[in-house]
Amino acid sequence: MPTDRAQLPDEPPPFLRTWPRVYAAVLIYLASLIALFYVFTRMFS
Amino acid sequence: MRPLDWVVLGGTLTAIVLYGLYKGRGSDTMNKYLLAGRTMPWYAMALSIMATQASAITFISTTGQAYVDGMRFVQFYFGMPIAMVILSATAVPLFHRANVYTAYEFLEKRFDTKTRALASIVFLIQRGLAVGLSLYAPAIVLAVIFGWPDRITTLVMGALITIYTVTGGIKAVTWTDVQQMIIILCGLIVAFFMIVHMLPRGISFTDALYLAGATGKLNAVDLKFDLDNRYNLWSGLIGGCFLALSYFGCDQSQVQRYLTGKSIAQSKLSLLFTATAKIPMQFLILFVGAMVFVFFLFERPPLLFQSVAMHDLQSPGLREQFAPIGRRFEQAFEQRKQAALGMAEARRSRDAGKRATSLAQYLVAQEQINDLRASGAKLYEQASGEKGFNDTNYIFLSFVTRYLPAGVVGLLIAVIFAAAMSSSSGEVNSLATVTVIDVYRRHVRPDATDRHYLWVSRLATAFWASYAVFFAQYAKKLGSLIEAVNLLGSLFYGSLLGVFVLAFWFRRVTGTGAFIGMLVGEAAIFAAFSFTSISFLWYNVIGCVVVIATGVAVSWMRPGPRTA
Repeated sequence: MPTDRAQLPDEPPPFLRTWPRVYAAVLIYLASLIALFYVFTRMFS
Repeated sequence: MRPLDWVVLGGTLTAIVLYGLYKGRGSDTMNKYLLAGRTMPWYAMALSIMATQASAITFISTTGQAYVDGMRFVQFYFGMPIAMVILSATAVPLFHRANVYTAYEFLEKRFDTKTRALASIVFLIQRGLAVGLSLYAPAIVLAVIFGWPDRITTLVMGALITIYTVTGGIKAVTWTDVQQMIIILCGLIVAFFMIVHMLPRGISFTDALYLAGATGKLNAVDLKFDLDNRYNLWSGLIGGCFLALSYFGCDQSQVQRYLTGKSIAQSKLSLLFTATAKIPMQFLILFVGAMVFVFFLFERPPLLFQSVAMHDLQSPGLREQFAPIGRRFEQAFEQRKQAALGMAEARRSRDAGKRATSLAQYLVAQEQINDLRASGAKLYEQASGEKGFNDTNYIFLSFVTRYLPAGVVGLLIAVIFAAAMSSSSGEVNSLATVTVIDVYRRHVRPDATDRHYLWVSRLATAFWASYAVFFAQYAKKLGSLIEAVNLLGSLFYGSLLGVFVLAFWFRRVTGTGAFIGMLVGEAAIFAAFSFTSISFLWYNVIGCVVVIATGVAVSWMRPGPRTA
């Protein structure tokens, strides 16, 4: 454990190289999920 | 419960406790006991976060909610991924770098002692009221279904979590949460396949989807904006986001999970994984409930799923009044069953005329069944004096105990125990941490040894576990106050969120500004609760906005020294 945690580095994510890209991927996933659920609702209603 | 069910249930609970004791070894410093020495990998934290959030009553009740009201509850979780992204980008690095044990410790570093004290007290009240209910709520459902004394059930669950939580601290809590989450997921998947397998011959899975959808049970998305409608896309995205920000960013029972991470990146990944896994999991739970509805299209359900209520309705005093309702219910069930079979047949033969006729008959019969259920509930309310009768919590377990085979029943009861224990252990652990770090170490004994704090932490954990069991023992006497207690919990999040937003993003706001802002925000939430019909999801938005506005205004009028 680092002794000075105030300097703790923010490591890059294990995929997509940068955190903003990972965040964007999560939000795109959310939008896709909502779209999928909407189609599901309409298809069987 | 048959012998095999007892073997599965007993074996699962024993495995949870033994695994907790095994994984909790070596928690011999305060840092290891309360933060697992910051060694946790992302997947353990993620599953622990999900397990702590999923209480037993969520699991029991959500399936029943889909049966009665459809799947629209899933929208409640739509704001969570947005909240998780915001927290990963802001709160996680700040908390890690501040080297804190609790979220409220961070508030003192940023503002002052009184703001930290107020936030800690709000958390202790809110979480302290909820912790006993996590044990009591499933116990009372199991008492009605199986006749098990609820006091014994809460005592057993409380004793089991005490064993591994007191000895192993957060390491034991996190790893047992992982195990419990796996049990919950296995139980859900088994239940889903069993229900689909038990549909009558001639009814395919696609037929089941159309039958559920025709009565609005698959209404996963509602685009209409309505402040009074609890679950639609907008309340889910906006209100749900604020609620998730409050819960995952300000509630120590969740913050403590990701403070145990090996690194900032691991903690971020745990939140983002939770964000992506939670919605499909809730969808699955609700979908199981919708499939239970389809199952009961072909197998006659009781008019009311709460056996005590049905017993009362059939007692000599009420039998005469209930008999016509019961007869009409049987007729309506038969009509709905025939119409459902007709719909399925017409769909396959692509006979549009027959399909339309069957659909109309099906919807009329469903409407009759809804009315008759309401009449039965009203009759029971009049006779018993109970107001707001609701049998949603009993639907899924009635199905499980009556129709599922030996072994599977034991597994699903184990799921309920696992869900109750995972929520309670996380709550007990976080309550103990705030008691020791924000109260005892800050105000009572600031300069004791690490060993001393370790033992005080163990004592505080034992105290909160005992308190949870004690509170659960007397929860029955609270009667309808239980609902008030649940609601009371949801009244505090908005102001907590507001003060953390001030801490993260408003560098000129002073401690006094934040403190007064929190008090005014809390008053605004109580005013919204007392004088408006606004859905509770919006309380977080109101509280947060008022805290920010007040905090900024007070700091502008009475500027103090700038803090880091």
